[in-house]
This record gives sequence, C-alpha cells and structure tokens, in this order.
Amino acid sequence: MRLDRELTCAEVVELITSYLDRRLRAADAERFEEHVAFCDGCSTYFEQMRATIAATGHVRNDDVPAELRDRLLATFRELNST
Amino acid sequence: MAELTAAGEQGLVEALRRGDEAAFASLVEELTPSMLRVARLYVASRAVAEEVVQEAWVGVLRGIDRFEARSSLKTWIFRILTNTAKTRGAREGRSVPFSSLGGDEPDGPAVDPDRFLGADSRFPGHWAAPPRPWEGGERLVAQETLELIELEIAKLPPMQAVVITMRDVEGFDSDEVCNALDISETNQRVLLHRARSKVRRALEEYMG
Amino acid sequence: MRALKFLGEGRVAPFTGLRWPVGEWVEATAVDPCREGVHALRPKDLPYWLGRELWEIELDGEIVEQDRKVVASRGRLVRRIDAWTPALLDAFADDLLRRTKLRVGHIANVGGYVGDIARFRSQRRYGLAAFAAARAAELSGGAADYDRERRRQAEWLAARVAFEPTDERRS
Repeated sequence: MRLDRELTCAEVVELITSYLDRRLRAADAERFEEHVAFCDGCSTYFEQMRATIAATGHVRNDDVPAELRDRLLATFRELNST
Repeated sequence: MAELTAAGEQGLVEALRRGDEAAFASLVEELTPSMLRVARLYVASRAVAEEVVQEAWVGVLRGIDRFEARSSLKTWIFRILTNTAKTRGAREGRSVPFSSLGGDEPDGPAVDPDRFLGADSRFPGHWAAPPRPWEGGERLVAQETLELIELEIAKLPPMQAVVITMRDVEGFDSDEVCNALDISETNQRVLLHRARSKVRRALEEYMG
Repeated sequence: MRALKFLGEGRVAPFTGLRWPVGEWVEATAVDPCREGVHALRPKDLPYWLGRELWEIELDGEIVEQDRKVVASRGRLVRRIDAWTPALLDAFADDLLRRTKLRVGHIANVGGYVGDIARFRSQRRYGLAAFAAARAAELSGGAADYDRERRRQAEWLAARVAFEPTDERRS
C-alpha cells in the first residue's frame, strides 16, 4: 500500500542523479532530503554514489593517439602558414 | 581547463586565430578523447573515428574566424564533430540505429528491485538489506580501483559510456553533453544515472 | 530570524559536508535560495530532521520558508542546544512507543510497528522510529493522523529544547 507522505528507498535511489543536477522541484528535493535524513540505508547509498562520482573524476580519459596528435599539429601549421 | 570562463574562452579563441600552437595543442589534448568516443558512436571503426575527428578539427580551424560565441566553444566544436560523424556514418550506410546505442535495456529502475521490500511489508519499497558503508575510503582513488571503474565503463552500452565519460571523467556540464550528442536533458540524465548506478554496484562488490 | 539547525558530529553538515564555524556568518553561494542556501528549521520541523547536534542559528538575507524547512542566504551558529542529548532522544522514542502501542498495538500486522520502533530505538535510529510512528498513524487513521502524530512529535521535542523563535531581523 502506497502512502502519500513519503518517498520509498526504491524511489530515492532513482532520484539521486536528478537531485545532484538540481533538477528536482523544490518540494521533491525536500522529500528526498528528508528521507535521506532518517534512512541510514539511503544515506549510505547516497554517499556511495557521491564517492563513485568523485572517484570517476580521477580516471584519466584515454590519451590522444600520438599519430593523430602529430597530424593535427601538422595541419594547424599548414593552415597558419599562409 | 574544465572551468573555462567566458573571458578565458574568448582568450582561447583569439589565441587560435593568432595561430598560437600551444593553445591549439592543449585544446586538442582536452577534447580529442571525448571527440573520439562520440565519433565512434556514428561510424564503424576506431580508424574511421580518428579520421572523423581529424576532419572535425580542420573544420574548427577553418571556421574559427566565424565563431560568434553564441554557444560555448566546446559546444560549437562538438557540433562540428557530430555533423562530420553523421555525414560519414551515412556515407558508409551504417545500419545500427543510433537509439539502440543506449543498450537495449528495458525501461525500469537502475537498482535491482529485489533489493527492496515488497508491497506487503510494513516498509514497502525500503531496503531489504541496506547497503553497508565502505571501509577505507582512500582505496577509492587507488590505481586498482580506477582501473576497475575504467573496465566497468568499457562494459557499458556506448551511449551510457559516452555520457558518464563526458560528465564525470571530463567534467562537461549537462548542457554541453546534450548539445554534443543531440539528446534531451532527460535522456542524458537517464543514461548518466544508469551508468553511475552500475559503476557504484561494481565498486560495492569490490569494496565489500 | 532565529531558527534551529541539525549538524553531524563536529558541526559537520549532512548534505554538504561543510564543517560549520561558530559565531561566523556563512554565505550561501548560489543565487537561488530555494535550491542552495543555508538550511534551518522551525520547532515544528524537528521530527523530520533529527540529527546528532542541535544548534540555534541566526538567519539573515533572503529567507524563504518552505514546507518543512527554512532556507536563507546567510546564517550564523549562535549556541549549541545542550538539552539535545542521546538521553533526550531515548525518551522521545519511548514516547513514540507509548503512543503507537495505544494506537495500533492491538491490531494485527500494523501492530508490528511497535516492535519496529522498539528495535529502532535500541539501534539509535531515531529518525526511522519517528517515521515508523507516523506511518503507523497514517495506516490506522489516514493522512490526518499522520500529520497529527508529527505535530505531537514536534510539540514533545520543542517543549524540551528551550528555544524561542523570534522574528527580529538584524538592522
């Protein structure tokens, strides 16, 4: 039976990205925060999502292949030599 | 360079127009990895993706005098890239529908519903077994963990991989990603959410 | 405006991770105070946000009152509320138990919330206990009973934290 006063954990975990992007309406953001305030499971999950995002930020994207970079610089010099 | 201000961007555009090679080189370093990923969505091979990126940069350099800063520089560059990639993909008669690159995932929650209590419980929709806090937070930035994250991203459906890479690895903002991939804000967020949830899940297994 | 604020141990804010200074003004960074801004509560909001440390806070600048919290563009911690202790929270949970037992203790299934609240109390999960009590009330008497239970909770807590909200603004 769904009660109309709160969000469930199952809903909260699906709202995290929207919450962090500030796309939730103020009322929904408040419900989200309230739930996380009393629910340690969701509080932990929320922390873990934030930690995941932070850790992902430390991943280095692939390097530019050297040949490609050389070709691009050569093209740049060509276009700028006229 | 992730936080280019309007003034910083203006300076960069002027440097490019002046033929400042160092400015160009650093912009190439910053954007090309993501450009390759995006191009790869539209064409059949990595080699062709590199050609597309090359062509796009030529387009950028040829067009830089006409750039009017109505959008950000990044957005403008990625639009050139996407147009180049689409043209090339069409020419090759690429048959994979773009939309399927989301990974034929059915619509539905990103977290397994089995982790939550059912409708007959006193706390329906609440955690059946709440996630346990991770010990040793410093492990999260260790080399091994970062490699795990990279592996997980590599396993993602292509669109999810591009979105999480651009947003969370490269620090592009939501608008920039939507413009680059020509998708809606909502679509972008769903892809990001699914990707992040999977990476978190992989970390949970690893950290547990 | 004077209001209340919950912080984690060591004056750490639960959502931002910021460690609050005492007596110094903290400014919100964003232009839209509904989304960003210093979060605070009125006494009636207490049961929704139960935290470890309770502080009195002075708010200033643009102040927006929302459903269950207040958001302001700047705030300054004034004093810690000493009455807010684990013992107080245990007593609060006892009161939840008492009321919930009376209300639903005799009803099959719903009566299970009594045991839940007792368990949450022993686990020190007071927010969850308060939520469970409100939920049991709603199941037995509808949304109006949910609100009534939350009001009872707020009154119980407000009476014990010795805080008088004022509407004075800094001049």
